[in-house]
Amino acid sequence: MDSLIPFTTSGSLVDCVDRKMLVILRDGRKLHGVLRSYDQFANLVLEDTVERIYHENLFAESWHGLFLIRGENVVLLGEIDLDREDDILLRQVEFHELEPFHKRAIELKKQNDDSKSQILYEQKGFCKEGGEGDGY
Amino acid sequence: MLPLSLLNAAQNKPMLVELKNGETCNGHLINCDNFMNITLRDVYQTNSDGDRFWKLKECYIRGSTIKYLRIPDILLDAVKEEQVRAREVGRNTRGAHAGGPGNRGGRGASTRGGRGRGGPMRGGRGRGRGVQ
Repeated sequence: MDSLIPFTTSGSLVDCVDRKMLVILRDGRKLHGVLRSYDQFANLVLEDTVERIYHENLFAESWHGLFLIRGENVVLLGEIDLDREDDILLRQVEFHELEPFHKRAIELKKQNDDSKSQILYEQKGFCKEGGEGDGY
Repeated sequence: MLPLSLLNAAQNKPMLVELKNGETCNGHLINCDNFMNITLRDVYQTNSDGDRFWKLKECYIRGSTIKYLRIPDILLDAVKEEQVRAREVGRNTRGAHAGGPGNRGGRGASTRGGRGRGGPMRGGRGRGRGVQ
């Protein structure tokens, strides 16, 4: 069955329709939602979408609803195993409580990366990076 | 229902568009095309930090600069219902054509059989296609 479907976007995603999926965007956002539709560019329609943020052993969710994501911005699309979803050893907290920590962590990481690339540029003869962070 | 057809169906609906640079635009969709280029009316634009706002009467966004669009939740249901209704209409008109020759061919066999054969098969195919 699998071998009959060519490795194309449409071939690999057809089994994922109407399943709960995790989408990671190029800006690092993690979205959980039900995949309702997609096309050859991997533009995605996600229903009942929540954004999840993590910090240490905590996580929080913020409800967003119906999303149409432009395919270019997708880094990863993964199916969520509903049977094992609740086994994770993380504690859920309120989004507004966790958000400041999450933002701070992003800021620190950015500062760290900036100073690292500054040192590489000045002392080791590296070129300036594009400032894309993880380089997605 | 492909993503871009959903966007097409969202005309005149409110939506939030986030651009790749993090800026957001809140407004009603006027029009869109197959490149995802869109025009919005009565737009509230915010910068990427979310601390500055602009009000625009109308704006055009090039599709390639879009990160994602958030559209009203009810739209998906509305579009699904619309599709079902369109399919019903299609089936009824096609059913009428198919019924004609069937009746003529096997009058003795019963008209119910003829319609029964045509109806469910056609319906089954229609639903299969509609998944997406």
